Amino acid sequence: MNAALLAERLRVPICIALVLGSWQVIFALGVVPEKYFPSIPTIAVAFWQMLTDGTVISAWATTFLRALIGLVGAAVLGIALAILSDLSPVLSRGIRYVSDVLQPIPPAAFVPMAVFMLGLGTKLYAFVIILVTVWPPYLNGVAALAGVGPVQLNTGRMFGLSNWGLLWRVKLPAALPEIFTGIRYAATISLIAVIVSEMLAGRDGIGFMIFKKAFALRTPEVFGLMFLVAINGVLLNGLVNLLRRRLTGWHIGMMERPE
Amino acid sequence: MTGLLTASGVGKSYGIGSARMPIIDGLNLSIAKGEFVSLVGPSGCGKTTLLMCLSGLLAPSEGAVRFKGETVTAPPIGLSVVFQDYSRSLLPWKTNLENVLFGMRRVVGMDTAAKKAKAAEIIAAVGLSGFEGHYPWQVSGGMQQRVAIARGIASQSELLLLDEPLAAVDAQTRADMQDLLLDLAKRFNQTCVLVTHDVEEAVYMADRVLVLGPRPTRVVREIKVDLPKPRDQLTTREDPAFLHARHEVMALIRAMRQGKALA
Amino acid sequence: MTRERRIALLGLLVPLGIIVLWQAAAMMQKTPLFPGPGKVVVALWTNYPVILKELGITLLRAAIGFAVAVVTMIPLGIFLGRVRAVGKVLEPLMDMLATLPPPAIIPLVMLFAGTGDGAKIVIIAYAAAVPLLMNTYEASHSIHPMLSKVAKSLHLSRFETMRLIDWPSSLPMIVTGARLAIASSLLVSVTSEMLLSTNGIGTYLQRSQETFKIDAGLAGIAFISLAGILVNAGVFRLEKKWLFWHYRDQRPAE
Repeated sequence: MNAALLAERLRVPICIALVLGSWQVIFALGVVPEKYFPSIPTIAVAFWQMLTDGTVISAWATTFLRALIGLVGAAVLGIALAILSDLSPVLSRGIRYVSDVLQPIPPAAFVPMAVFMLGLGTKLYAFVIILVTVWPPYLNGVAALAGVGPVQLNTGRMFGLSNWGLLWRVKLPAALPEIFTGIRYAATISLIAVIVSEMLAGRDGIGFMIFKKAFALRTPEVFGLMFLVAINGVLLNGLVNLLRRRLTGWHIGMMERPE
Repeated sequence: MTGLLTASGVGKSYGIGSARMPIIDGLNLSIAKGEFVSLVGPSGCGKTTLLMCLSGLLAPSEGAVRFKGETVTAPPIGLSVVFQDYSRSLLPWKTNLENVLFGMRRVVGMDTAAKKAKAAEIIAAVGLSGFEGHYPWQVSGGMQQRVAIARGIASQSELLLLDEPLAAVDAQTRADMQDLLLDLAKRFNQTCVLVTHDVEEAVYMADRVLVLGPRPTRVVREIKVDLPKPRDQLTTREDPAFLHARHEVMALIRAMRQGKALA
Repeated sequence: MTRERRIALLGLLVPLGIIVLWQAAAMMQKTPLFPGPGKVVVALWTNYPVILKELGITLLRAAIGFAVAVVTMIPLGIFLGRVRAVGKVLEPLMDMLATLPPPAIIPLVMLFAGTGDGAKIVIIAYAAAVPLLMNTYEASHSIHPMLSKVAKSLHLSRFETMRLIDWPSSLPMIVTGARLAIASSLLVSVTSEMLLSTNGIGTYLQRSQETFKIDAGLAGIAFISLAGILVNAGVFRLEKKWLFWHYRDQRPAE
């Protein structure tokens, strides 16, 4: 087997080795002061320390659960609104006006004001996350439901489905793949919204912890926690993908079939 | 071997060892200047692969393709290809005229104004005057293929290789475009090699039909088409010489498909 | 009136309804910490010079960060896409980068670079870099194989092929990446100002909260939304103008 093929097969370990390797080289060269650029072992030790004394586990769980629950709530709300929009074009237009205005606003911007109206607890997180995360599933849902082909609809009608039945048995399943694309995008946004809220107004969670450690100049911990944030993203995406495979496996098979 | 385009002992295979798949094996042919030659064979015999090798877009595993005596390693100047997939062969961000002009990049001895005039002339020759400023995707499939043909001719190449150019065009347009191609070939002195799966088209268009065998393919028979030019869709197709040639080619292909020994 | 226009007008009832509910809720709460839409409009009117000035700073930083990302990531993406050996092997790295959201690097950058312009621009550039790199890479390595055949058959040199064929055909996807990157830049610019408060609209929001001027803060949010809408609409217009051939590049007109 030639070198290129081998490199391709082993690319994940190669990438990891590249990152860790160049990191250590930069550290060894001392180009950046150590307090900003600790060695990998130092980071690992600090990370392990945080794990074992329990602080990180609870923060991790808190942040992850917030992101997950927020995502689920936003997805359900988004799909529900999409269905309603499919039934009423006026509602669809109306919600479109609202989403056009709200979508460009970063989640962080809502936090200072929302704190006053909703306090510092779960209601705040729920508000900010849902306000920001509901749009991708909703917009994708509306587009997908509207885009179900006439052939499929006519087939359904031929089988005697009412409008309601058509919605549930034909349109919604057909729209599900595109809705899931929206949910995958929403997962990324959800995590960002949680972290940013925790950074700005939180008292717990990874976001809060990262800033606390940064202010305490504990650089190894900051790196460790950043790594954790990335893992959170991977986990959340993994969960969404699992659900996606279960619910839309037919579509994935269809798309991945070679020509 | 002499000729404008020659292939000597050309072979092409993919894969190695036990997974080796020969597509072409021991193929010889020679195209003389001014000829119109059709290459026809059973489906999947490797016609397109052969055309890719003849044009220099694919390197043969064995043997050599020569154009004007020089071994072909990349598409040589003087040789143009008209692809089957016209929608991907024309550049969508250029107008029809710009696409034809683009094919004239290597033409020497003409300034831009002269090139533009020549391009417009050829576009008119393919029956598309008035559509120079349109974009390829604004006109029909048949028209797009005509732009592609115009581009091939505009490049002043001596040899035009056509890869099933009319396969994706509807039947009525096809007949018109066959006649157009013949007319253009005569008018602009193009030597043409047409790859097609349509036996009738192969015989109608050509001076010589080269029948390709099943994989690994080579030329199994050469049939001269003894019909006068210009051809006519009605009278030529009823001519006994046409029917005879057609019969010969079709019988051959049928035998090959059935795996019988070739007479 | 056509059905389309009727729906468009009736649809306005939804945002109007929300505003009415909001006003009702504000009147019930009766606290300056929960201003109604009326108060926000007043705040908009009185504060818009300040808001616009701060917004300008935010937009400028976003533009600089975006420019840095464009200049570095587009060549890199093209390189990784064309030199397949390197690109394929480094793909996991790019995917890993995509899992680290910009807010997560803010504390780290703060440690390295403080809270000034430089720090914010680094964060913005990072946020813009991810979609730009991924889209440029994707566009560069998935150029349709037909195009290279066409280029060769037209006797184009390697360099000519890249300039005249690869680049235009990759543009649609690259520009989509740029559009996402621009939206990201704006977003992250505001967010970075909220966490690393020096100036800009994000800082304005923080100050409004600190001085309990909720109505001014909401007015600031309204302007952020407006800026986002205008920038996105502008980019979309440019996209349609330069890449019209891509959006019309569907089936032939038959």
